[in-house]
Amino acid sequence: MASISVPMPGVQATPRPKLSEYLRWSVHHKIIGVQYMATALFFFLIGGTLAMLIRWELLTPALDFSPTGSAYNSLFTMHATVMIFLWIIPFWAGLGNYIVPLQLGAKDMAFPWLNAFAFWLIIPAGVLMLAGYFVGPPEAGWTSYPPLSVLFSGDGQTLWIISLHILGVSSILGAINFIVTIKNMRPDTMGWFQMPLFAWAQLATALIQILGVPFLAGGLTLLLLDRVAGTAFFDPSRGGDVLVWQNIFWFYSHPAVYVMVLPGMGVLSEVISVHSRKPIFGYKAIAFSSMGIALVGFTVWAHHMFTSLTPELRIPFMVTSFIIAIPTGIKIFSWIATMWGGKIRFNSAMLFSVGFLSQFVIGGITGMMLGAIPVDIQLHDTYFVVSHFHFVLFGGSVFAIYSSIYHWFPKVTGRMLDERLGKIHFYSTYVAFFFTFFPQHLVGMQGMPRRVAEYAPEFQTLNIIISISAFVLGISTFIILFNMVWSIYKGKVAGPNPWRALTLEWQTSSPPPSYNFKGEVVPFEDPYGYGTEASRVYLDEMEKRLTPANLLGKGGAAASPEPMTGD
Amino acid sequence: MNLSTKGGGSGFNPVLIILGGAIVLVGGYLISLLAPSLFPVAASAEAGPIDQLFRVMLFLGGVVFVLVEGLLIISIVRFRARKGETGDGANFNGNVTLEVIWTAIPAIVVVFITLYSYQVWVDIHSPKSDEMIVEVTGQRFVWNFTYTDPLNRLDEFPTQTFSDTVLHTYVGRPVRLKMQTRDVNHAFWVPTMRIKQDLLAGRETEIGFTPTMAGRFRVVCAELCGSGHGGMYSYIQVYATEQEWMERFIDPKVDLVIHPPEDPVVLGEIILKDGMNGRAYPCSGCHTLDILGWTAQTGPSLNGLGDTADRRAQGRGLADAADYIAQSIRHPNAYIVPGYNAGVMPQFGVSETEPETVDGAYYMYMPEEDLVNIVSYLCTQTATGESACGDIDAITAAVETQSQ
Repeated sequence: MASISVPMPGVQATPRPKLSEYLRWSVHHKIIGVQYMATALFFFLIGGTLAMLIRWELLTPALDFSPTGSAYNSLFTMHATVMIFLWIIPFWAGLGNYIVPLQLGAKDMAFPWLNAFAFWLIIPAGVLMLAGYFVGPPEAGWTSYPPLSVLFSGDGQTLWIISLHILGVSSILGAINFIVTIKNMRPDTMGWFQMPLFAWAQLATALIQILGVPFLAGGLTLLLLDRVAGTAFFDPSRGGDVLVWQNIFWFYSHPAVYVMVLPGMGVLSEVISVHSRKPIFGYKAIAFSSMGIALVGFTVWAHHMFTSLTPELRIPFMVTSFIIAIPTGIKIFSWIATMWGGKIRFNSAMLFSVGFLSQFVIGGITGMMLGAIPVDIQLHDTYFVVSHFHFVLFGGSVFAIYSSIYHWFPKVTGRMLDERLGKIHFYSTYVAFFFTFFPQHLVGMQGMPRRVAEYAPEFQTLNIIISISAFVLGISTFIILFNMVWSIYKGKVAGPNPWRALTLEWQTSSPPPSYNFKGEVVPFEDPYGYGTEASRVYLDEMEKRLTPANLLGKGGAAASPEPMTGD
Repeated sequence: MNLSTKGGGSGFNPVLIILGGAIVLVGGYLISLLAPSLFPVAASAEAGPIDQLFRVMLFLGGVVFVLVEGLLIISIVRFRARKGETGDGANFNGNVTLEVIWTAIPAIVVVFITLYSYQVWVDIHSPKSDEMIVEVTGQRFVWNFTYTDPLNRLDEFPTQTFSDTVLHTYVGRPVRLKMQTRDVNHAFWVPTMRIKQDLLAGRETEIGFTPTMAGRFRVVCAELCGSGHGGMYSYIQVYATEQEWMERFIDPKVDLVIHPPEDPVVLGEIILKDGMNGRAYPCSGCHTLDILGWTAQTGPSLNGLGDTADRRAQGRGLADAADYIAQSIRHPNAYIVPGYNAGVMPQFGVSETEPETVDGAYYMYMPEEDLVNIVSYLCTQTATGESACGDIDAITAAVETQSQ
């Protein structure tokens, strides 16, 4: 218990890459990582604006703000698609890009060119998606069930399909890159079980993507042909079947939930251990539970179809859906046990991780309820479901994204985020989140279906509470955006390892130099070995190696800027 | 006494564990007490076991909630770094006993809840004896229910069924719904009955339930079906007794088939409201017509249609209001009222054997006699109440012209 967790006074040894480097093609993983994350944040604002419009419409029981029901339907269709495919999934790809090679002590991802290509597919896909608004937006929901999506959705639906196709290619290429990087680019001294848990989470995520996306692509192709080529894969009057789409779609889209949440769980494993100053509890259980979730995640898809699937077929999916609660529970208990007995530093990163735990558990409980067929019969396609998946995807994924930003922003920019703003952001987000989404359980149970612009008048009071909370939640987002922009220029200089963390990304300057590490990379034997004399010695040794004098060179002059695009 | 000092996790204080366990169980129980107030009134036999299952799950969920949030709060309070404290926490990184416990207990709970849910599901889903069969048609954005006479009084008539936009049943009689959609997928949901089943294009799906409470309950469409989805609702009217159901619903309906009224305006109103002769049309799904209680906004309002049709007919070179109304029904895309979309309204044609869809629009059969009656009725929707059209011969001529 002798080690000391006070960061040393910082110095920014490596200049940040120039803004222009982020605006052009680069094969460097740190540039690409930031490009991904910045693009995702842009789409987060778009998706968020759509959410605000949805909540505006729902202030009253009548259709009033939206000119037509179709206009409203396009709002939630685009909101969901943008948030899932252009915000959460690309953000995790970006964070993984930046952090995973550093955590492995590698110079870059395994396939740098492929990496850049995967990122640059996001831009045209995003443009095509939004272009739908100019040709008649898609309005069949993000699930786009036929026949509705074939017969009664604007031409934007076709662009939606093509856009998702492109994003799918991007995901597969990214996944290949993560798998090969994690498998091959670790230093000799880092075995599978000395690998940081964030890398494990990214590995599980990549496996899901590589196995799942081809199914989505197949389904999208059939849908595209039904729309533009007059085929009848989903048209029963000519021999097609509408349930085929539902099966294919959910075979990918249920695992996609884990694509959105597993990297967040990886973030929690890092943040909770570092800021509790304690080893992660049950390392192997957490690593294996990620793999378990990835695997079992492929067997539960039809619980999204409990009101459409043949009744007898529903039962096996209820069983698998319950089973997946077990590895999730293991993770939650392991994180709590990690905090137990620690010396917890409640900075903004830690607050958002603890926030994740406290909210995600509600999403888990409601998930169990929805897994029971008889209960789901009542709750399916109601606001209860909307509430459930926002507890998982906002209370889970987005809270984890916020946590990751507070945790790794110092590494990426060399500056600390402002803690006071961070705490204001946390508390406003936490409270507004709860009051936006918790009442949705109640209104759903009382009988309000999802995806409606008109609803029974008795639901209005709850909807007003929800909408006002949602507006506060929307505004709270600007606190972190302001904090980021302000801190890049005015933030306290971070130094290489402000958290005194043991994983490798902190054993280099902030931001790291072009090739990530100067000299030999020496991983500590246990990435979470806090509270030991050996870890204290290691951190002190690394601190000496990364002193300003050593980083800046003998004469004290800044090292000459290294262009990050060079190869 | 606790993990932080022992470092290995041995030596739990049994008193604390029992106390904590009791708090968690009581907390879960208190949360489960909320169950009855969360769902709407329970109006079917199925609702009982479903609500009980939900209550058990709310108890289990409540236990998990109190446990996790409780441990989090204790961790936050006990193990936060105090001011000036810079050391690390204890170095322990696992405890096999604990990990086995928190894997095994959830696993046991999962087995229990699976068996329990399975049993409830089999119970509510198995067919009951002596079910009343009602055919349900879902169509953008309207529900229609088709019945047969339990006394078989219509056996001699060409159409042995009658329909209504409300589902009429009575307390204690099991109902089985055979459901079909005429267009996209829908879902039949009665929140008070705890039943929901999708209507799938190209299939017949079914669901059974037994009403246990008299009253009028909302039927909601729960599967996104397009612009008017939120307005796609109807009601279940549950009568207290079979006799009341017969007298107030079945008998008048049967009588209407046996002694149909002759006035085309009256006939038109009946057709538009509930359908006749085995045919029902989905006009209320998209149009507003105050006098019939229609409120949908996907298509233009039909209030005062007689007057509007008269003006539009003149502007478009049609003979009269009847001509315009007949054209709007037979050829809905010939003229689109500003602000509305083409290609949304189904095609109502004269052939009984057309395919399901024509040029992307859904096709429905509407014989000329029905159209004459509908036009006759809509022509009377004027400020003065006077028909905007000529006599029945003129209307018939207009319908014939537009049906070419």
